Amino acid sequence: MAWVTINRNEPVVDPKAPPVLGEAVRVKIRSFFDRYETKRAVLLPALHIVQDALGHVPWQAMVEIADLLEIHPSDVIDTISFYTHFWTHPKGEKVITVCRSISCEVMGGAAVLEELKKQLKIDEHETTKDGKYSLVTEECLAGCDNAPCLLINEKLHKHVKPQDVAKLLAEANNDRIAVPRSALFDASTLSFAAASKTNGALLGTTSDVREMREAD
Amino acid sequence: MPKITIDNQEIECCNGVPVLQAALEAGRDIPHYCYHPGLSVVASCRLCLMEMMMPNPKTQELQWSPKLVPSCQTPVRDGMVVRFDSERVRQSQATCMEFFLLNHPLDCPVCDQAGECHLQDYSFKFGKPESRMVDQKLVNPKKDIGPNTLLYQDRCVMCTRCVRFTDEISGTHELCMVNRGSRTEIDVFPGRPLDNPLQGNVVDICPVGSLLDKDFLFKRRVWELKGTPSICPGCATGCAIRIDHANDKVYRLKPRFNPKVNQWWMCDEGRFGFKYVHNKKRIRSPLVRRGYETLTPSWEDIPEIVRFRLEEHVREKGAAKVAAVLSPFMACEEAWLLARFVREIAPQSVLAMGPVPMEGEDQFFPVGAKGDAVRFTILKEKCPNRRGVEMVLHAAGGDIVTFEQFTERSGKGDFSAAWIVGGYPKPWVDKNTAKMGANFELLVLQDLFVNELMAGAAIVLPSCAWVEREGSFVNAAGLIQSFERAIDPPDTARRDGQYLYEIAGLPGLYTGERVRERMAEALPAFAKAYAAPELPVHAH
Repeated sequence: MAWVTINRNEPVVDPKAPPVLGEAVRVKIRSFFDRYETKRAVLLPALHIVQDALGHVPWQAMVEIADLLEIHPSDVIDTISFYTHFWTHPKGEKVITVCRSISCEVMGGAAVLEELKKQLKIDEHETTKDGKYSLVTEECLAGCDNAPCLLINEKLHKHVKPQDVAKLLAEANNDRIAVPRSALFDASTLSFAAASKTNGALLGTTSDVREMREAD
Repeated sequence: MPKITIDNQEIECCNGVPVLQAALEAGRDIPHYCYHPGLSVVASCRLCLMEMMMPNPKTQELQWSPKLVPSCQTPVRDGMVVRFDSERVRQSQATCMEFFLLNHPLDCPVCDQAGECHLQDYSFKFGKPESRMVDQKLVNPKKDIGPNTLLYQDRCVMCTRCVRFTDEISGTHELCMVNRGSRTEIDVFPGRPLDNPLQGNVVDICPVGSLLDKDFLFKRRVWELKGTPSICPGCATGCAIRIDHANDKVYRLKPRFNPKVNQWWMCDEGRFGFKYVHNKKRIRSPLVRRGYETLTPSWEDIPEIVRFRLEEHVREKGAAKVAAVLSPFMACEEAWLLARFVREIAPQSVLAMGPVPMEGEDQFFPVGAKGDAVRFTILKEKCPNRRGVEMVLHAAGGDIVTFEQFTERSGKGDFSAAWIVGGYPKPWVDKNTAKMGANFELLVLQDLFVNELMAGAAIVLPSCAWVEREGSFVNAAGLIQSFERAIDPPDTARRDGQYLYEIAGLPGLYTGERVRERMAEALPAFAKAYAAPELPVHAH
C-alpha cells in the first residue's frame, strides 16, 4: 500500500486576499442575527445567501462566513459538505438535476442522463466550460408519476426522452417557473436583489435571484 | 441509589448514569465506541443496544420491548429490567461489527493501535469470523491533520469522539465531519490543523487506530509496553498519568482517570514533556572534589563522605552558616529526608525554596470557559510539587527563606556551605545563580544536568527524573498523590530517595510509603496519599 498522505496543514485560503463577500451580502447575513438565539444558527441562511450571490461557496467565503458568525471554519465545511445543495466549486448558470431513482430508472432515466452527458460533454457534478450548465443526479425529485423527469434549476421537466434533450438545452427559458411566489416569500430578499444588482459584481445564478431582479 | 436488573442480576448503581455505564461498572463487557463518560451522548455506533422490559401500551403487561434500545442513552431508573445476554442483542452486535469492518483495511500488522484496539477486541468477542463484503473496499488516503496527529480515515468507525472532544473539552472546534452517510470522513479545515494544547487526547479516546500519535508512530508494539501509574510533573495541576515503558525507555505518556484533577485528559506539554529523561547530558555518577582531585566514589561511601564533610564544616564555621535549597521538582519524601538531615547536622541552618518556574498564563479549557464550565486547566506554575515542599519546609520550621532572599544573603556571605537541589528539566541556572556558586566553601549540588554550578561544587550527586523515582507530589489544589518508579536510572546514577535515605541514616530500603509513615508524625496529611479510583475494566 502506497504511503499517500493528504497534507491538511497547508492553507487553501490566502489571508491577504481581498474578501469575496461584498458588503451587501454581509448586511444581509447580519440581518438574520436577530432571528436566532446564537450567531451559529445563522449558518444555513448565510450559506444560502452566499451561494445565491456567488453561485457557489468557495474556501475563502467559508472562512469569511466563519468570521462573521464567530465559529470555526471547520463547522462551515461540516455543514456545507452535508448538504448537496451547496457547491464548493463554481456552479453553472443552470443546474440540471436528473433523477436516478427507481421510477425514472424504469422509464429510461439512465438514457436521458447519458444523452445529457454526451451533449454537455461533462460528467456528473461537473460544469461545462462555458459555465452554462452543471449536471448532478438526485435520489428522487418527487415526480414519479411523470417519470423520467429532471430539474433545470427549480423547473421540473416531465416525461423527458433522450431525443428531447437537444431541444431542451437550446431553449432559453428552460428554467422559468410559472408558479407565483407564496406569501412566505421573504420580501426583504427583493431589496437584497436590488442591492446586488447595483453592486454588479454579484453573479445571479438561481432562478430566485433572476426573478427577484426582474421583479425589481 | 437505584437498583436495576441486568441479565437477571440485580445491581446497585449511581443516580442518573446511563445503563451502559452501570453495566460497565458492574464489570460487564458491553461493546461501545461512541459513548465516553466525559463527552456528550450521541448513540450513533449502535453497539451497546439492549433489550428492555416495558409495559405493553394496550394491556399494561410488562414485556420485552419490540425494538432494541441504546443503553448509553437510557438513564437508569429504579426497578428497570434489561438484558444484553439475548440472541437478538448478540445478533445486532454481530451485524454492527460486520458493518464497521466493511471498508476496514485489516492492516493490523502495521497498525499502532493493534493490541489496544477495540475493533480487534470487539470483532473477536462479538463479531463474525468472516466478512460477506464482495465489493471493492473504499480506500482513503491518510490525512496529516496536525503537527502531532495522523488520521487513517479507512480505519475510522465514525464514533465522533474526537470531534466532540474538540467541541466540548478543548473548545477549539478544529475537527469536523465532512460529507454524509457512508462517505462521511473526519477532517479539519485545510490550513487550520489540529494544534490545540490538548490535541493528544483525541488519540487516546479514538477506540480504533484511526487517530495516531506521530511521536509514537511505529516505535513499539503496545503489548511490549509496561504501564506504571504516575503523576505528570509538567505543571502544578498534577494530572494522573500512566508511563508506558519498555527496557528502561519511556515511549509515551497516557492520561489516567482521576475525577479530582484531570478527569480523563492530559495536555500535550505534559504528554511530550518526558523527552529530557533520555537526554545524554544528564549527570550519571556522583563526584567528590578534594583539593584539586576529582573522585568518583562508590555509592556505599557517599553517605559517610557527605555526612563527614558537612559535620566538619559545621564544627569549623557554625551551624547557621549552612543552607539547603529544596527544589519544587523533589518529591515530598525526598524534601523531607533532606530537610531532616540538614537540620540534624546543623539545627540553625537555613532552608530555602528553589526557584519556581512560571511560564505564560494559566490556560482554561474549553477555551474561554470560566468557573464551573472549566473542564481542564494547564497552570503557569511549571513544577509539580511547590506545595509539597512548602509543607515540608513549614513543618521543619526555623529559618525558611525564598530563593531571592537566599541569593541575596549568600551574596552577602551569610552562608559558607550549601546543599542545592536542581532537578529542573529545563536549564535553570541563570547568571546570578551561577555567580553564587563561588560564595560557598562547601557546595553540594544535586542536579539532573551538567550546569555552571558544577564547577564550584565539592560534591555532585546525580538527580533522577521523576520516572525513575518514587514518592508523592502535592498539586495546586493540595491533593497528595503518590507516583511509582517506572524505569531504572541511567548507568551508575541512583534514585534520589534512596541515597537521601541512606545519607539520613535510616535503616533498610527507601520506599515512598515507608517515608510517608515517618513523615505523618509531623505532617498527618501524609498518612494517606490520594489514589484515583480505577476505571471499570471494560470501559474505554
